[in-house]
Amino acid sequence: MPIVTIDGRQIEVEQGVSVIQAADRLGVEIPRFCYHPDLRPEGNCRMCLVEVDGFPKPVVACATPVVDGMVVKTPHTSPVASRAARGVLEFLLVNHPLDCPICDQAGECSLQDFYMHPDYGQHRSHVDPEEKIHKRKRVNLGPRIVLDAERCVMCSRCVRFSEEVSGYAELQFVRRGNHVELTAFEDRVLEDPYAGNLADVCPVGALTSRDFRFKRRVWHLSHTDSVCAGCSTGCNVRIDHFDGHIERVVPRRNPEVNRSWICDEGRLSYQSLTSIPRLTHPREGDRRLLWAEAIALAHETLHSAGAVTGLPLAALASASATNESLWLFRQYVEVAFPQHLLEFRLGREMETVAEREDKLLRRADKHPNTMGALHLGYGRGLGLKGLLDLAEKGELSRLLMLYYPPLVGQEAEETKERIAGLLARVPESVVLTTHELPYLTGAKLLLPVAAWSEEEGTYTNHQGVTQHVGKAISLREAVRPATDILGDLWQVATAARRETAPERLFREIAMSVPAFRGLSYAGLESRAATVYPPEGRMHYGQEGFAGR
Amino acid sequence: MAQYLTRNALDPAQRELQTALRAGAYLGFKQALSLPPQEVVAEIDASGLRGRGGAGFPTGRKWSFIHAKEGQTVYLLCNADESEPGTFKDHYLIERDPHLVLEGVAIGAYAIGAHRAYIYMRGEYASLAETLAAALREAMAADIIGPNCMNSGYDLRITIQLGAGAYICGEETGLIQSLEGRRAYPRVRPPFPAVHGFLQEPTVVNNVETLACAARIMAEGAEAFKDHGTGRSAGTKLISVSGAVERPGVYEVELGYPLMEFLQGEAGGIRGGRGLKAIIPGGTSVPVLTAEEAAPLTIDYESMQSAGTMLGSGGMIVFGDDTSMPQALLRIAEFYAHESCGECTPCREGTGWMAWVLRRLLAGEGRPGDLGLLLRVGDNIEGRTICGLGDASVQPVRSFIRKFRPEFEALLPEPVQAVAWQSHGHGPRTGRFGPPAEEATRSEAVDGPPTAAL
Repeated sequence: MPIVTIDGRQIEVEQGVSVIQAADRLGVEIPRFCYHPDLRPEGNCRMCLVEVDGFPKPVVACATPVVDGMVVKTPHTSPVASRAARGVLEFLLVNHPLDCPICDQAGECSLQDFYMHPDYGQHRSHVDPEEKIHKRKRVNLGPRIVLDAERCVMCSRCVRFSEEVSGYAELQFVRRGNHVELTAFEDRVLEDPYAGNLADVCPVGALTSRDFRFKRRVWHLSHTDSVCAGCSTGCNVRIDHFDGHIERVVPRRNPEVNRSWICDEGRLSYQSLTSIPRLTHPREGDRRLLWAEAIALAHETLHSAGAVTGLPLAALASASATNESLWLFRQYVEVAFPQHLLEFRLGREMETVAEREDKLLRRADKHPNTMGALHLGYGRGLGLKGLLDLAEKGELSRLLMLYYPPLVGQEAEETKERIAGLLARVPESVVLTTHELPYLTGAKLLLPVAAWSEEEGTYTNHQGVTQHVGKAISLREAVRPATDILGDLWQVATAARRETAPERLFREIAMSVPAFRGLSYAGLESRAATVYPPEGRMHYGQEGFAGR
Repeated sequence: MAQYLTRNALDPAQRELQTALRAGAYLGFKQALSLPPQEVVAEIDASGLRGRGGAGFPTGRKWSFIHAKEGQTVYLLCNADESEPGTFKDHYLIERDPHLVLEGVAIGAYAIGAHRAYIYMRGEYASLAETLAAALREAMAADIIGPNCMNSGYDLRITIQLGAGAYICGEETGLIQSLEGRRAYPRVRPPFPAVHGFLQEPTVVNNVETLACAARIMAEGAEAFKDHGTGRSAGTKLISVSGAVERPGVYEVELGYPLMEFLQGEAGGIRGGRGLKAIIPGGTSVPVLTAEEAAPLTIDYESMQSAGTMLGSGGMIVFGDDTSMPQALLRIAEFYAHESCGECTPCREGTGWMAWVLRRLLAGEGRPGDLGLLLRVGDNIEGRTICGLGDASVQPVRSFIRKFRPEFEALLPEPVQAVAWQSHGHGPRTGRFGPPAEEATRSEAVDGPPTAAL
């Protein structure tokens, strides 16, 4: 395999790897605009020009494959490459409006970052603002994206994304020379369900997200790595939040799961956490309860009726719960109720876990952890329909349910009706859920649980990849993680304390469930950071640059 | 004046197949079909034919780069986009002897194993495309070109495609992109067209005149071709001369023909009996020559190279001594700014910037340092772009300023104006935010190599 030397450091790479990829693996920063690890290299921005021994002029690192024995010098060590990078950056700024103070991209803008770097930028502008070429500004390209053509560096990442990835091919450049301008065909609305990625691939402030625009300066944001809970794909995301509010969700690169992309539904799924009223306190009918009362009542509710009738407990958990919650739920049910029916099927998850909704990322199953639930022994029973039939025959008297409404889209009408029907027929029911939902009002006792982004844990996606889900937002009002509530119920039932930290629960799972054997919680937590580092680095500024 | 390529061109009936056949048309193709393709390539190689589009790359070698793998389709593309300013030789050739061009295309296609050939013609040549299409229809009706060409078992389909009017479509990968129906954004090389060209298949792109030469070579032999010309510049060359001459037009000359003799003889001398100021010998993309530099030169690749310029496309532009060189340069710079495709950064922004600075110079709004700025911008374009357009745009700017500097300096403001200018906050670039000192002076010191015309 070819060995290349970059800035005096050697690395062996596979045949066909480009210089920029080799440099990324070494952690040598080569500035770039048009290169993106998940798009075909185009070589148009010329920012990644490097000096290669034996080549008469600088070459673009993104489109030059490594040859054995190649000696490469980047702008950090080569005056030739540094001059080239400076020259390109100066050109990019000639007609740029220099409006960083009002630009949403400021703080995570490649142009700004490179300009501040001593090896590439920091020259003064030679062009007066009135001399600059003016292009269209504030163009709404559909519901997700705003275009500011003056800020565009014509890197064509967005054009290639729409051609190669989403396949909608909605964007193209028009005109020539320094009048070149990005446009959607005939200014049509961008309709593809992946348009939000355009704001992510844009290295500058030309394409910005309408959802995030002017909400928050990016340097005020805190970041939490997580996994999208919108469907069974499990796209890796980063939750950007400020002061207990999610401001936006952006994809994190994971070549095995979602590459660098996420669908718009998933990206905006966080909105449904707050757009529907949340369940904030334990509630029996209209009466708010303290947690101590609520736990006692829950225990009483679930046991008294069973003791009288001898009918089994129906235990129903949603496949949107974390592996840890599902594990503890099952253990609690098994320990506290010798006679039980363990269920998770609310819809057709088992059939649809890997069914695609489109060719890219979206899947029909809107539960993020169906595969985890299957691994943990759920889904072998009657299903929601079967339980309803039992209830109609009067063979069910009590129900424990852990229910999360889908973050993407709506629960199916049929499922809603079944849940409402079940709650109407079963006299003694305890429901742990996140939202105030009309079809859950028939429950005797409602307990508020933490939603996605409010608790830690793991999901197992349709491929069987188990991934760590981060906690970004602190809990509000009387909301508690499902694991804590189940731990309390366990304690009431067995008079023994139960460990409920996700890390400990996961260790138990890894020891007892074959599908999880060998995994460690800490390993999953740091997986993204260790397995896919530099090549996956997107343009977000938080990693910083060597020279800062 | 030589009569090799153009010997039949003065006969208006030459466009008709019967006349052309009587004059020997398609004998070269017939000869080629009687040989295995490798021998056709070898014959062209032996002739020393070099590309007539501008770069002067040996044609036989270009053809020998095609190694089609199983299942691949090879394409020959004839570049009739002729868009280099000052160049109109291919127009003449197609208009006067379309069968010679078609014969060349057929030979080239046969030599590289292509069964599909495209003639990509600039949009402005729409009427010419009709002439060529009429000739093609005749040749097809006579079974010279088509399935089973001249009963040889070789199939060839030639398509004429009109462009929509962009300089960049004459760049070989830009042409390929345009032919594929895309925006004519040149491609990063490698891979070269010989490996991944039209529709990602092995492709050769040849200029009209080059292929016409190939037709003659196959008809009359490599030795007859080498009888013309000199040394490494074999054959004849079509020169399209324009500007301040009495008889602008297209002339065929022996390579090695003295430049001054051509100017005074064929071209009829400088218009109005004026003196010669400068010559651009091969299209605007090559460095300009002063009258003194031009005097000893001959019209061939080596002589032009020795003077730091290029024979290019043979689009010769002559400037009389009443020409304002800054104004001429502005016109050229505006052409490149207008025609830069905008794909890669240095050319997109640099060509526009150079034109902008020249415009303000000529409007009397020049600033001290503007000449240095022009040269520095040129340095930042050259060698850093995807295709040759960027390099091409720099050659005139650099050579005009270097060779006619006093004319440019006369446009700069008086020193007293410089003080006023500085007070607006455009002082000399020093300190932390200034560029490295070496950068400001580099253009003066480095003599960049001349670059291929498109």
